[in-house]
Amino acid sequence: MTKILSVENVELYYDHIYALKGVSIDVAEGETVALIGANGAGKSSILRAITGLRPIKSGQINYEGQRLDGTSAAEVVRKGISMVPEGRRAFPLMSVKDNLLMGAFTRTDKAEIEQTLENVLTRFPRLRERYNQQANTMSGGEQQMMVIGRALMAKPKLLLLDEPSLGIAPKLVQDIARAIVAISRDEKVSILLVEQNSRMALSISNRAYALSTGSIALSGNSKDLMNDDRIKAAYLGGEL
Amino acid sequence: MEQIIANGLYLGAQYALIALGLTLIFSLMNVLNFAHGQMYVFGGFVTYTVVVQLGLPFIVGLFASAVVLAIMGAAIEKFLFAPVVRRSKRDESTMLLAAGVAFFLDAVILLFFGEKQRGVPKIVNGVLNLDMRIIMPYDRILIGVLAILLIVAFIAFMNYSRTGRAMRALAQDKMAAQLMGVNVSRYSMIGFALGAMLAGLVGGLLVTITGVNLGMGGPTSVKAFLMIMIGGAGVISGAIAGGFILGMMESVGLTVLSAYGDITYLVIFASLMVFLAVRPQGLMGKPWG
Ligand SMILES: Nc1ncnc2c1ncn2[C@@H]1O[C@H](COP(=O)(O)OP(=O)(O)OP(=O)(O)O)[C@@H](O)[C@H]1O
Ligand SMILES: [Mg+2]
Repeated sequence: MTKILSVENVELYYDHIYALKGVSIDVAEGETVALIGANGAGKSSILRAITGLRPIKSGQINYEGQRLDGTSAAEVVRKGISMVPEGRRAFPLMSVKDNLLMGAFTRTDKAEIEQTLENVLTRFPRLRERYNQQANTMSGGEQQMMVIGRALMAKPKLLLLDEPSLGIAPKLVQDIARAIVAISRDEKVSILLVEQNSRMALSISNRAYALSTGSIALSGNSKDLMNDDRIKAAYLGGEL
Repeated sequence: MEQIIANGLYLGAQYALIALGLTLIFSLMNVLNFAHGQMYVFGGFVTYTVVVQLGLPFIVGLFASAVVLAIMGAAIEKFLFAPVVRRSKRDESTMLLAAGVAFFLDAVILLFFGEKQRGVPKIVNGVLNLDMRIIMPYDRILIGVLAILLIVAFIAFMNYSRTGRAMRALAQDKMAAQLMGVNVSRYSMIGFALGAMLAGLVGGLLVTITGVNLGMGGPTSVKAFLMIMIGGAGVISGAIAGGFILGMMESVGLTVLSAYGDITYLVIFASLMVFLAVRPQGLMGKPWG
C-alpha cells in the first residue's frame, strides 16, 4: 500500500511547551488510522502540524510524495487535505447551506460542487431538513455532521477528524461512527481519526497509534490493540 | 412629521453606508478605523476634482472615488495594518495606527485639495413637493436612492458571492476559514479596501449636496462610531440600524430641538450613554451576521 501521508520525527512547541517530541506516523491510501491518547497528549497538535496551522520545529511531513510542512493552511486544503477541527468550529451565524458552500471554497466548477453538495445532503439527510437553518441553533450532533459534510465538500483525499464524538449524545456517537465508516467505504479518502473515545476509534479503524505526552507509546493493528492489555488499562478501562 | 422621516431616511442611508464600511473592517481585522471619516472626505474631494476640475460627468466622479479609495484602503491595509497586526497582539497598536492614519490623511487632503469647502453643482434640479407635507429637492432623492441601492448591493454581495461568504467566514471563525482555504491576508485586504470604498462612495454622494471640507473627517469618524455602538459592532444589521437611527435622531433633532439652540448632538450623546449603560453590546451585539 502506498503512503499518502507520513509524519517523520516531528517536534512542535508552543512557546515553552514541548508538545510533540519526535512523532512519526503514517497513513496509507484508503486507510482509516486512529490516533488515541489522553488529554494534552498532543493529538490535536499533530493535526495542526499537518494542516499548517502551527509550524513544526524539526522533522518533516510528506504528502503524496512531496514535502508538506511549511505549506500554509489555506494551501494545504488545496492539496486535498480537509480537517474537521476540535470543537467543530462551525460558522455560527451562517446557514447550513453557507457552511457547506464554504467547504467548497477552493473549488470552482459549479456543476461539480452541486454534485458533491447533493452527495453530502444524501449522506446526512438531517442537513437537508435543516438546510437554511442558522448553524448555532442546531444541536451538537447536527453541527458535527455539518462540519464533516463541510470537510467533504472540498473532495479531500485525506480527511482529518479531531474528536468528532466530543460533547455529543452517546446515541449520536454511533451515528457519527457509522458515517465515518461509510465515508471511508464510499469516497476515495484516507482518514486520520483523533479520538479520546478509544473504543469507538479502534473499532472503526484499520490501524492505530497511542500517543502519550508528545510521543508515540504504542502502535499497531486496531484489532490487536483492542485486546492489548496496556491499551485496555490505559485507554479502555472504565470507559463506556 | 413626514418631512422629518424623509430627511431621516435620506441621511440614514448615507450614514448606514459609512457604518457598514467601518463595521466590515472591524469584524474582519478587529481594527477600529479612526481614519474612516477622512476616507469619506477624501472620496468627496476625488468626485469634486473629477466633476468640477476635469468637467466629467458625476457618475465618473463617483466611480473614481470608489476606485481611488479602494486602492488606498488596500494599500493602507497591506503596508500599515497587516504588519502591525502580525507583530503586535495588542489592540491598542492598531488603534494608535488608525489615529495616525487619520492625521496623515488630513495632511494629505490639505496638501492636495486645500482647506476650502468644496462642492459639486446640483446634479439634477427641481424640488419634489407633496402637498407641502414633504418637500425634498430631487438631487437629495436621487442621492438617497443611490445610497439605498448601494446598501442593497453590498448586502447581496456579502450574502451571495463567494468573496462575501469568505469574508463572513473570516469574521466568524478565522481558523475555520483558513481550513476552508481562505487566505487571511488577502481577504483582510479585500475587506479593508471594500470598507474604504464605501466611505469614499458616500463622500462622492454627499459632496453634491453638502460639499466637503478638511474639518469634516474627525467628526464623521465619531458619528460612524456612534452608529456602530448603537447597532452593535461587527454586525451588518447593526450598522444599518445604527445608521438609520442616527439619521432619524439628527433629523428629529434639527426640527424639534432647533428652537433650543444647537443641542441635537448633546441630546444624542446623553441618550446614547443611557442606552449603552443598559445595553453595552448595542442593539444587535457581536459578531458579524
Ligand atoms: N495554543 C497553545 N498554547 C500553549 N500550549 C498549548 C496550546 N495548544 C496546546 N497546548 C499544549 O500542548 C500540549 C498538547 O496539546 P494538544 O491540544 O495537542 O493535546 P490533545 O491531545 O489534542 O488534547 P485534548 O484531548 O485535550 O484535545 C498540551 O500540553 C497543551 O496544553
Ligand atoms: Mg485535542
